[in-house]
Amino acid sequence: MNILQLLADLDAVDPEAYQRLSGRRGALTGLGQAGRRAVAAAVPLAFGTMLTKAYGRRPNTVLDVFTLALTLEYLESEFYKQALASTLAFPGNSKAVFQQIYKHEQDHVAFLEQTLRLSGAVLPDKPRFDFTGSKNGTQAALFPTVFQDFGTFLKVAQLLEDTGVRAYKGQVGTLITDNDLLEAAVRIHAVEARHAAHIRGLRRALGANVRDWVSPADEVITTKGVTDAVYAGEELTRQQLPVVDQKIPFFPTETTQIVTSTPAKAQISLGEAFDEPMSDVTASAIAALFIYG
Amino acid sequence: MSESASSSLLARSMRRRSFFRVAGATVAASTLVLAGCVKDPVEPTDTQVTTLNLGEGDTGLLNYLLLLEQLEAAFYQKVVTTPPTDLQAGELAALTDLRDHEVVHREFFRQLLGSNAQPTIEFNFSTINFSSRASVLAAARTFEDLGVAAYNGAAKLFTSREILALVSKIASVEARHAAFIRDLIQPTDPFGGVVEGSGAYSGLGTVLTPPQVIAAATSFFPYTIVVSGLPTA
Repeated sequence: MNILQLLADLDAVDPEAYQRLSGRRGALTGLGQAGRRAVAAAVPLAFGTMLTKAYGRRPNTVLDVFTLALTLEYLESEFYKQALASTLAFPGNSKAVFQQIYKHEQDHVAFLEQTLRLSGAVLPDKPRFDFTGSKNGTQAALFPTVFQDFGTFLKVAQLLEDTGVRAYKGQVGTLITDNDLLEAAVRIHAVEARHAAHIRGLRRALGANVRDWVSPADEVITTKGVTDAVYAGEELTRQQLPVVDQKIPFFPTETTQIVTSTPAKAQISLGEAFDEPMSDVTASAIAALFIYG
Repeated sequence: MSESASSSLLARSMRRRSFFRVAGATVAASTLVLAGCVKDPVEPTDTQVTTLNLGEGDTGLLNYLLLLEQLEAAFYQKVVTTPPTDLQAGELAALTDLRDHEVVHREFFRQLLGSNAQPTIEFNFSTINFSSRASVLAAARTFEDLGVAAYNGAAKLFTSREILALVSKIASVEARHAAFIRDLIQPTDPFGGVVEGSGAYSGLGTVLTPPQVIAAATSFFPYTIVVSGLPTA
C-alpha cells in the first residue's frame, strides 16, 4: 500500500479528514514515520468510499514531491561521489568540505528512501548519470572537463545546488498538508542553500563575479535553451502579496522606503533578498541533462 | 495616491513611534482602544511597556519573523554605520549587502502585516563590540544561524500556502547569509553545529521552536517577548 499517495488523495477530497490522520495539526506529531504508517493503515476501512472518489483525481502529491526530491538527491550525491573518486585536484582544504557535502547528500537520499519505504511506496530506480552532459557519449558534452577542472566542477556544483534550493522551495505548498514532511523538506532546503553559498564563495575566491546569494549582478554561467532554466525567474524584484482587500497587492509599492543605498542598488537587493521557487517540471528537465539510458 | 502615501515607511514608523511613546499613559491607551486598536496583537499589556505579545496564528508567526528581521537589520545597520577598523577588503561591502537584504525582509513583513505589524524596536546590542571584526562576525553568525533554525521551525506552523511560499523565499537567503558569515570565520568547517550529524534526521538543518529562538536572543530585546500565542504544531 502506498500511504503517502493515499494520504494525498484523501487530502484532495476531504482535507479535514486528512488532517485528523496526518501530522498537520499534531495528530501524529511525535509519533514519527512508524506511527504515520500505523494510523494510515487504518485509512481504507474508515475512508473507503472517499478514496474511491479520490483516485479519480491525482494532483501533485506528497509522493510526487518525495520522488522528485529523491531523484535530485541521487543526482547530487552521485555528482560528489564521482568527483571525489576522480583525479580532480581539490585546492587547499576544499576536499574535506566536499566530503562533508557528499555525506549530507547521502543522508538526504537515506532520509527520503526511508520515508518512501515506510509509506509503502516503490522506490524509483536510481538513474544513470553523466555529469559531462554527453548522455554517455551520445551527444556533445556540456561540461567536458567537469571532473578535470576545478572551476568547471564548481560551476556544475553551483547549478545543481541552486536547482535543489529552488526545487524544494517549489514544493512547500504541496507539503503544507503534513507538518513532519514539510519541516524535513524545509530543513534539507536550508542545507542545500548553505552548500550553494559555500560553492559560490569558492568560485568567487577563484575570481568569478558571483555572490553567495543569487544576484542579478552575478556573471552568467548558463547556456541559453540548455541550462538557463536554473535561474529563469530568479530576477523577480516584486512579490505578490496574498491580501484580501487588494489594496496593497505587491511588495514593494512605489513608496516603500527599503534601502538607504541608491535606487539602482535597491533593485539589485530586491532581487537578491528573495530566492524564487522552481516547478517540478523544470527541476526534472534540469536533472535530465545529466541522466541517460 | 493617498493610500500609497499612508503606507510609506516614514508615515508608518512615525505612527508606531508615537503609539509606543503614549502607550505608557493609561488615558492615552484607552483612547487608542476606543480608536479601534483593541485587536492589535502587539498592544502593550501594562501601563509600562515591558512586554511585546507577538499574537496568534499566521499573523503572530509573521510578527515573530519580523522581530528577527528587525533584529538583523538593526544589527547590520549599526555595523555599517560604524564599521570595525579591522574589517578586511570587501567585507564592508558584503555586510552592507546583508544590511540591505535584511531591510528588504523587514519592510516586506511590515507590508504583509499592515496595521498588525509590531512597532520599531530599539535592540540592546551592549554585548557586541562593534569596533572588533571578530566580535561583529561572531554576532552575525549567531543571528544568521538562529534565523535559519527559526525559519526551519516556523514554516510548518503556517496555515496559508501563499504566506508559506513567500516565507520560504526568504528562508534560503538567510541560509546563504549564514554560510557567507561562516566562510569568513571558519571556512574549513562551514556546517559544524548547524547540520545534524547523526540519527534519523542526519543531514537535515538544525531547527528551533519560537520559544527556543526567543530564549536564545533574549538579551537583545529591551522587553519580554511573548510567543505563547503562536501555534505549536
